[in-house]
Amino acid sequence: MPETRADNVLMQKVRDGDLAKMAVLFERHHRALFRYFQRLTGNREFSEDLVQDVYFRMLKYRHTYRDGNPFTSWMYQVARNAHLDGAQKRKGEAPLSEEPMREPASAEPDPSEILRRRQDLGLLRRALAALPVEKRELLVLSRFQNLKYEQIADILACDVGTVKVRVYRAIKALSQIFFELAGEKAS
Amino acid sequence: MTCDQVKEHIADYLAGTLGRPEAEELDEHFARCAACKQETAALSETWEMLGVLEQEQPSAQLRPRFYQSLEAYRQGLESAAPTPARRRLFDWGWRGLAWSAALLIVGIGVGQWLGVRERGRADLASLQDEVHHMRQLVTLSLLEQQSASERLRGVDYSGRVDQSDTQVLAALLYAVNHDPSVNVRLAAVDALRRFAASPSVKGSLDQSLAKQDSPLVQLALIDFLVDTRDKSAVRSLAALERSPTADKNVKEKALWGLSQLQ
Repeated sequence: MPETRADNVLMQKVRDGDLAKMAVLFERHHRALFRYFQRLTGNREFSEDLVQDVYFRMLKYRHTYRDGNPFTSWMYQVARNAHLDGAQKRKGEAPLSEEPMREPASAEPDPSEILRRRQDLGLLRRALAALPVEKRELLVLSRFQNLKYEQIADILACDVGTVKVRVYRAIKALSQIFFELAGEKAS
Repeated sequence: MTCDQVKEHIADYLAGTLGRPEAEELDEHFARCAACKQETAALSETWEMLGVLEQEQPSAQLRPRFYQSLEAYRQGLESAAPTPARRRLFDWGWRGLAWSAALLIVGIGVGQWLGVRERGRADLASLQDEVHHMRQLVTLSLLEQQSASERLRGVDYSGRVDQSDTQVLAALLYAVNHDPSVNVRLAAVDALRRFAASPSVKGSLDQSLAKQDSPLVQLALIDFLVDTRDKSAVRSLAALERSPTADKNVKEKALWGLSQLQ
């Protein structure tokens, strides 16, 4: 069975030549990475390519991993670079899909309430797609990836206060777009 | 707290990481500033809705793609590793060279060749070890998947693992005894033929005969026990042959097995 060791210890082993340990890191993190890219790009296929790219880059640049460096932060730094390079190659960000949302199962009995929620989530998805990618990334890291602001600061190479202000601006911008879309729909 | 200071705390407020004193100050501010209260409520609503958006899952192809890439990367490293090049120590066109110079070249050449060969052996052993670990991980990971087709791939992949690998052997034995899919159990019995020399295989499969509810798997196990000349299975075969609940074909096969082993 795979050992349940800390990620940074596993990455140190990969760096020191035990490449098989990368498989354990893949099993632990590939879903989160996929969701990160999926939320940023809206494209499943592209997101899977980017996940592959991240693991390839971590293998290729394994010697740059430093002892004591939190693995998750390092992995997302690699992921950001992979996304930037990938998006440039694709000449711009792929638009997020506006397919109808698959809503989680709900126990609410009122069909009109269910419909309203479904419409709201559809609008929210459109609002997210309309958000500039830097702001979207902030929300993806903080809301979807559940990273702490300290970790995000580490990934973005800025201080925690800056992250918090940016998160505020990002959620405010998203909220404005969402309510604008809701207003258009209502009018 | 001023309206600007409220904005600095919104991120913590949303994430639920606001300290108690700040939370109290924020509440006090909301009590006297309707604009901030309204804005924070709207942002909270959006934040909460984000949490309801469904998280998508990667496709089933991502995992095998990764493992193939990892293996390709390792093989690439392996092929890029320096190999001891045999050096031409003598050029028969240079017959005019003095014996002393020739002997010197031979001495240096042989010395270097032996050194490189030793390093090459160590590198190769290390790489072989890495490849083995990677294959072991792939096999064990696939055998734990929920999908029967993935577990079948795991059984198939076990063919690339050393016969001495006890973890893979244990996983295959577990599959034979406990996997809910008959196909996976059958494939695992076949895969265990590579491990037939291990004493733990014979003992386990012998006991597995009685536990199986699938006649197909029982037939495969009897074949296995007969082919490996496992005489310790005689008692289990006899019990199966006498069992009132066993399948008719299985009982006949058990009788045949007994005749082969006795």
